[in-house]
Amino acid sequence: MTKKKRENISLLLFVAPAFSLYFIFKLYPAFSGIYYAMTSWNGLSRTKQFIGLGNFIEIYGDKHFWNAMLFTSKYVIVMLIAANVLALGLAVAIESRRKGKGIFRTLFCMPNMISMIIGGYMWNFIFTKVLYYLTDHWGMTFLDKSWIGNPRYAFIAIIIVSCWGIVGYLMIIYMAALQGVPAYLMEAASLDGASSWQNFWKVIFPMIRHSLTICIFWTLNSMFQVFDVIYSLTGGGPGRATQSVAINIYEEAFTGNIRYGYATAKSMVLFVIVFLITVVQLRLMKRRELEL
Amino acid sequence: MKAMKKLISAAVVMCLLLSLAACGGKKEEPANTGAKDVTATQAPAKEDGKDSQSSAEPKEAELNIMMSFPQYMDQWETYVQQFKDKMLAEENIKLTVNLEMPSSDQYESVLQARLTGDDAPDLYTIHSNNLKTYNEAGYLTDLSGEVLAGKIFENVKNTVSIDGKLMAVPIESTAWGVLYNKDIFTECGLQVPNTLDELKNVCKVLKDKGYTPFLLAYQEQWVPQLMTALTIGGKVSGEAKDWLERMYADNASYAEIIDIFDVIDVIMQYGTDRAMEEGSEAGSADFANGKAAMYVQGTWASNTIMTANPDFNMGVFALPVNNNQACTMVNLSTSTTLAVYPNSKNLDIALKFANYVLDDKDSSALFQSCSFNPIATVHNYETSSWVKEAYEYVEAGRAYQDLVLPNSVTDEQGKLLQEYYVGSVTREDIIKALDDKFKEANRLSKQN
Amino acid sequence: MRKKRRLSNLLIDGALVLLLLFWLFPLFMALLNSFKSNRELLTNVMALPSTLNLDNYSRTLGKMKYLRSFFNTVSLTAMGVGMMIIFSAMAGWRLCRTKSRLSSVIFGLFVFSMLIPFNSIMIPLYKVILALHIKNSLIGLAFVYAGFGVSMAIFLYHGFVKGIPFELEEAAAIDGSSKVRTFLSIILPMLKPVTVAIAISNVLWVWNDFLLPLITLSDNKKYTLLLSTNILFGQYSSDWSAILSALILSAIPVIVFYWIFQKQILKGIGEGALKG
Repeated sequence: MTKKKRENISLLLFVAPAFSLYFIFKLYPAFSGIYYAMTSWNGLSRTKQFIGLGNFIEIYGDKHFWNAMLFTSKYVIVMLIAANVLALGLAVAIESRRKGKGIFRTLFCMPNMISMIIGGYMWNFIFTKVLYYLTDHWGMTFLDKSWIGNPRYAFIAIIIVSCWGIVGYLMIIYMAALQGVPAYLMEAASLDGASSWQNFWKVIFPMIRHSLTICIFWTLNSMFQVFDVIYSLTGGGPGRATQSVAINIYEEAFTGNIRYGYATAKSMVLFVIVFLITVVQLRLMKRRELEL
Repeated sequence: MKAMKKLISAAVVMCLLLSLAACGGKKEEPANTGAKDVTATQAPAKEDGKDSQSSAEPKEAELNIMMSFPQYMDQWETYVQQFKDKMLAEENIKLTVNLEMPSSDQYESVLQARLTGDDAPDLYTIHSNNLKTYNEAGYLTDLSGEVLAGKIFENVKNTVSIDGKLMAVPIESTAWGVLYNKDIFTECGLQVPNTLDELKNVCKVLKDKGYTPFLLAYQEQWVPQLMTALTIGGKVSGEAKDWLERMYADNASYAEIIDIFDVIDVIMQYGTDRAMEEGSEAGSADFANGKAAMYVQGTWASNTIMTANPDFNMGVFALPVNNNQACTMVNLSTSTTLAVYPNSKNLDIALKFANYVLDDKDSSALFQSCSFNPIATVHNYETSSWVKEAYEYVEAGRAYQDLVLPNSVTDEQGKLLQEYYVGSVTREDIIKALDDKFKEANRLSKQN
Repeated sequence: MRKKRRLSNLLIDGALVLLLLFWLFPLFMALLNSFKSNRELLTNVMALPSTLNLDNYSRTLGKMKYLRSFFNTVSLTAMGVGMMIIFSAMAGWRLCRTKSRLSSVIFGLFVFSMLIPFNSIMIPLYKVILALHIKNSLIGLAFVYAGFGVSMAIFLYHGFVKGIPFELEEAAAIDGSSKVRTFLSIILPMLKPVTVAIAISNVLWVWNDFLLPLITLSDNKKYTLLLSTNILFGQYSSDWSAILSALILSAIPVIVFYWIFQKQILKGIGEGALKG
């Protein structure tokens, strides 16, 4: 037995427990999903017909699916910018403080620990009860918006709650990166004026570029699958105005016509799109990082 | 040292939680004593039984029941307990019952996953509109030969029968239309409207007197959907009798019944603000507290309304669709039904439970405690005034059987009405979207 | 110059505090109103509760079967994360150290699926769970979580092991130490920082996961905290004060966990992500 072979066998032994669980509960379902995506399987009938690419052809003309895709893309882009800018800003502001770093960090990160189902319902309370109370009794009329009912404000509400949920997490990553920056550079950046602004972008930012890659990768990947927040806040409404792709798939699979096969096909499309975007993004950012 | 402090305070928090939990446990006991008394009084009886036939060990059996009644969990748990005691006493079967109550928005998905996964519960509730689909998939047992079949009122039985065969036990059945606040109507000297013009007049008078005519609670899609259920039902039953049949044959359009939007416009125009932020339950509570005079909502909301304001004086009238009085009718529908899974391992016990739901002795108490309407001859309790009022329409022949539309079309109606309210679609958009959705549903049902 | 700087610091501080107030607002409002009766809540959501009324809490605690759900969640989380960590540390280490085609193929397979959305495999997964007869079993569900979590964990371990000098293992191998012993006595202790990070993030994930328990645990004796909370929504949907107390109750364990382990959690998030 060559050394290489022995190495491979020991590798297999060490990998076996993890791989078998992974295979049974993730890979196999994922691949059998490809088969289901090509059937007319609707949750109720016991037989499923193989219809080849029929579902995918139908997706091509499915207005609601592409609207949901558009909404999700809009959501992801706004979140990419809003959440990361806010997180980076917070990280720099808190990191440049002398005192109270810990308490700020802890409290800002707290919402990230709570399930977004719970957080979403708490915000639901704010948007449907508290804000109207402030409008009616404290005269804060600028809050008198239809936060759940008007598609535009509902979008803002969803962004606010999503940011509330993840900014703390991103902020921690940026802070960890900032801690790798030498103190004298941070000191220089915390001086105000144009020079410090330039200082930040020219000197500090390149040093934490890696964290930006990670945060953007993470935001992109998880935000494309957004479900919990929208589910507990607007339920995708009014109508389908705030429906994300994940909600659209859920709706296709579990309400109305209960089309498991078609819904699985939709989720395949979602998977391919997310996969392509992240691969491209990682390539681009990695190259940039190397260039610098 | 710091960590120590934290651990100690964490322990204190846990202790607080535990003591709270203990309180919670204690508080719950009174609710259970009813069930306990039953077992206590039956315990001696059991022992007697054992003395006479001490050799017979009780047989063990298990029953899985899934229901979409999380709000009536206590009532059904008590009822199941009664059934278990009855089985032990009468059949010497020691029954274990797993009663599951997924929350209503998850219910369908959980049920479907269970059914297709060959892990079906022995008994489960479904909406009567789904009976046809479930029957075609072979998930329903024919109950025509059971004792319960003879007890159900004829007009209710029709709503749960397919080709003359009884396929499920009806549980919630209602005649419903628009709820209204009788005190406000009396104060303004108003009569119940029978035509659209009369309705418009009612709204004007109410508004002049400073009342908001309609309560709108559109946060959940099924609430605005009630308006289409009522208007399409009235219109089709009164004027366009073959419309639904032709829709199923891809041979009709929503354009034919476009005037249903006349009344929908009136309701929205005279409605409360912030409808999209108002859930159905909050809407019921607000209606009870006089925020508006009318509420397009079924009598099933009466529980919430009466809890919010026990002195509330509620009435029911049929929603006019246009100026043809023939279209002004109440909707007679069965929503929740209990089905028996045909391949159940304990089919005989499952059937016994189905029969027990309409038990001569115990059923009335259950139905009354859940404030369900009487649906069978065994139900002899007094119904509330608004239920009687709605059934007066039925007796006068002014009621129609709830239309069975494809599920996806019903959902779509709710969504589109939300969008219509928000102003992002027009009548024409709605007609086109619903026609398409109906055709899609037809196509899919042919595929199977 | 110094004055100007103090002023700008003051501005930043003010902005931070304002934002922080906004951040804690929903939690605070939920807490505040959970002590009120529903009537009190509807008349004035901003007022302090007139009495420290624990009625809602005792009601929801009993209804949710809080203690049982709590311990179910604890055991599910402990088993799932425990398995995940042992298995992926083993795999991640060997995958990193073995330089062969097979190794990179397997690693690729693990990493590839990190992007598969849960929704797309939910239905096929449910079929697998039924076939294995692990429905309604917390241990079975723990296996599923381990299967789901290993790819990310292996990815992180793989990256971490790269940074560990190879010489130590080599020396151990020359001394005749078996791979298993090397793993247990040398590698595992060195993996501690990344293990803590992985454990913590996965504890939070399993604890807060909702959809998977929902489809696999239908027996209410096995319910997790979130499932029990969810049931309450159906029961009290117009009663905000009851709902809020249930929300607070199910948020408390996570907040306590966070409060005790915040240093490790925050360090874990930052370093775990940056080193991955």
